[in-house]
Amino acid sequence: MNLPALVLQLLLLLLLAPLVSGVIKNWKAKLQNRRGPRPWQVYFDLAKFLRKDMVISEHTSWVFGFAPYVVFLSALLTGLMVPMVHLPAPLSLFGGVLAVVGLLALGRFFLALGGLDPASAFGGMGSSREMTLSAIAEPALMLAIFTVAITAKSTDLSQMALSTQSATWKLLNPAHVLAFAAMFVVLLAETGRIPVDNPATHLELTMIHEAMLLEYSGRHLAFMEWGASVKQLVLMTLLLNVFFPIGLAGPGAGAAALGISLLAYLAKLLALSAAVVVVETTNAKLRLFRVPDLLSAAFVLATLALLSTFLFH
Amino acid sequence: MMLSHVSSELRPVVEELTRRFHGRLGTCVAPRSNEIYFHAPLDLVSGCCAHLYRNWNARLVTVFADDARAEAGVFHLYYVLALDAAHGFLILRAPVPPETPEFPSLANAFPGVNWQEREVQDLFGLKLIGHPNPRRCALHDDWPEVYPLRKDFDLKTVLPPFQGERHKFRKVEGEGVFQVPVGPVHAGIIEPGHFLFSVAGEPVLYLQLRLFYVHKGTEKLFEHLPIAHGVRLAESISGDSSFAHATAFCHAVERAAGVDAPPRGRVLRSVCLELERLHNHIADIGAICTDVAFVTANMHALRLKEKILRVNEHLTGNRLLRGQACLGGVRFDWDASQLKVLAGLVAELRPEFAALVQLVERSSSTLDRLQTTGILKPGVARDLGVVGIAGRASGFDHDLRRDFPHAAYDQVKVKVPVYQAGDVRHRLRVRVDEVRESLSLIEQFIAKLPGGPVHAAVGEVPADRAALGYVEGWRGEIFHWIRTAPDNRLARCKIKDPSLQNWPALSEAILGNIVPDFPVVNKSFNLSYSGTDR
Repeated sequence: MNLPALVLQLLLLLLLAPLVSGVIKNWKAKLQNRRGPRPWQVYFDLAKFLRKDMVISEHTSWVFGFAPYVVFLSALLTGLMVPMVHLPAPLSLFGGVLAVVGLLALGRFFLALGGLDPASAFGGMGSSREMTLSAIAEPALMLAIFTVAITAKSTDLSQMALSTQSATWKLLNPAHVLAFAAMFVVLLAETGRIPVDNPATHLELTMIHEAMLLEYSGRHLAFMEWGASVKQLVLMTLLLNVFFPIGLAGPGAGAAALGISLLAYLAKLLALSAAVVVVETTNAKLRLFRVPDLLSAAFVLATLALLSTFLFH
Repeated sequence: MMLSHVSSELRPVVEELTRRFHGRLGTCVAPRSNEIYFHAPLDLVSGCCAHLYRNWNARLVTVFADDARAEAGVFHLYYVLALDAAHGFLILRAPVPPETPEFPSLANAFPGVNWQEREVQDLFGLKLIGHPNPRRCALHDDWPEVYPLRKDFDLKTVLPPFQGERHKFRKVEGEGVFQVPVGPVHAGIIEPGHFLFSVAGEPVLYLQLRLFYVHKGTEKLFEHLPIAHGVRLAESISGDSSFAHATAFCHAVERAAGVDAPPRGRVLRSVCLELERLHNHIADIGAICTDVAFVTANMHALRLKEKILRVNEHLTGNRLLRGQACLGGVRFDWDASQLKVLAGLVAELRPEFAALVQLVERSSSTLDRLQTTGILKPGVARDLGVVGIAGRASGFDHDLRRDFPHAAYDQVKVKVPVYQAGDVRHRLRVRVDEVRESLSLIEQFIAKLPGGPVHAAVGEVPADRAALGYVEGWRGEIFHWIRTAPDNRLARCKIKDPSLQNWPALSEAILGNIVPDFPVVNKSFNLSYSGTDR
């Protein structure tokens, strides 16, 4: 394990994640003819939440206060297993793609518990919806990643990135195209974006992710929000560096190569954010019972991707 | 009986009614050609209303009481029936003696008066006989036994802090059935209302509404103000319909006084009503899109709304047209340059609104959310007497501007959009059609704007005159019924906002829909809390 790399990636995750959320918000506003909050407003929001007192319902148990830290730490830990600007990822020894999916599920489990614990009607609705949808989103995510894993003959994410990078670059490999499409849909669902969820709404009855956070305030809320933005960054990085590891610095790269890698990473990140923004501004939210259709489509795409790795091998 | 005053269209109804009830209906008074009163005994009311409904397609638009114990020794109940085809109102006045303060309910035959009858029971202490659900409505369950609209209840009365029973909602039971309480305090800047959903998973089995959290005693306040001050109070009944409510009030006073607004004043009144309709409809179209997370359309809608509000301010000094309504007409006249600004607004809005509609109609994901969502079936709408936008989207072809032309609507032909589907999509569509119609009406009004003064002097209104004022506001029909008292004051002012009529329809429209679709269904009705609670 490479300690400086670990610390650097940790800092990158913690500091870059809110900015990505902020940039998406700002660009969305621009596309809607609004001025919008500054991209770095999210930092101020987090700082404000951290300073504020917490109001905690007397009906809660220890789970309520415990959940934000699990959500936050599981997202961070997942992030350390995904290569961001350097191969291999700091925690690549740890278990590979199964651990990534497992840690994301752990975070989601506690998020749902945190929504249920205060026994408010909205939190319960949010948790129930989140669980319903993730039951389909999760297998789609796994199948999509396994598609790449089979090509790379490894479930280790760094190994997968390395293999995609070193293999003769096949952008139009049908397996990869299908798996990427599936992953993109999963990204929208997992980060609570339109057409699955609306992160900007005030309508409690329509919420999924936000409904689970309604009872949270102060420090807890800060960790929930921060955790959510880290998770978003992790999923985006997964998508970018597994499918497009262009410019990703390999083992033993120098400072210059690392700098170029960072720039390439940021460029890819902004491009993906732009894609998310365009989807969010040009679509209305799906009717809740239509969301499983969308996620099933992602699942089918991922299955087809998996099949085609064998067919076109 | 004097039938010479009655309009030729109403005369056959009045004659048939008199024959049918062998003159037992009592005196017939016709203070205005389209407003006929029958002083009927209480036991004939239900038969008479049913007869008019069946044979003349009459609608029972409002039921209210009036404490006339000082003048006549009894309470009076009023039943206002609108005959759209005959362009007139028949009003039954029935006495309720104070020693037996009770009256038979019509709510089984006319579910649309359910809440209004209970309001009479709460505010006047007249007991309902045979009502399917005679619980508290206008006053909440924890109110003491007081009857605020009786004359012997002093306006300044301070009641002790309320104690006792809170409202008991009906229980819905079954495996996996949950209650989801929402409100009365909501996210966002809206007024209070409590919604209790009974859900099995996401589908809604039953929705119970509890309103009247902001009951302000507005009707009582009118009795303590000089008539002219009432105009300002009427403006604040429902903030989004300031001008329509104030104009309905002025209309009632003018009818009581026998004064007509001058031609130019009537035309400007109509233009202001259309301006109010325009900015509310456009904002609603945007808000419906926001509720399905298509925010881009809302931003454009808000931009257009802002243009209208600025023109409103340029024309009347107020963005929401407050202060423009006055007894006898409108307060401010517009010069040539102001009219040019108005014409410019219409010319500018046409293409921009077309673009907004195109943006919404071409967004298949938005349409997918709106179609078949929140269906209010025409039969249900008719039974509940649903009015305005929601009524027209559910096949109820009516519009006071066309059927009872007030202000200057007799000089134009108003096209009324009517659809049968009754879903959110069609409530949106009614709004779109009405915006286009409003733009065309404003153009026609500007083209034929007569000269002369914009308001007439109303002077002192004679005492003990009753009059019904009516205006088609943007949400639906608004009624103000007044009875005058000596010294230019009112003995009673009954306010009927369309929201009061339409709220129960929301419970019907949401049945079978899923919880996350409620906000957009609610928004497509966009009912006023303040107008309901008063």
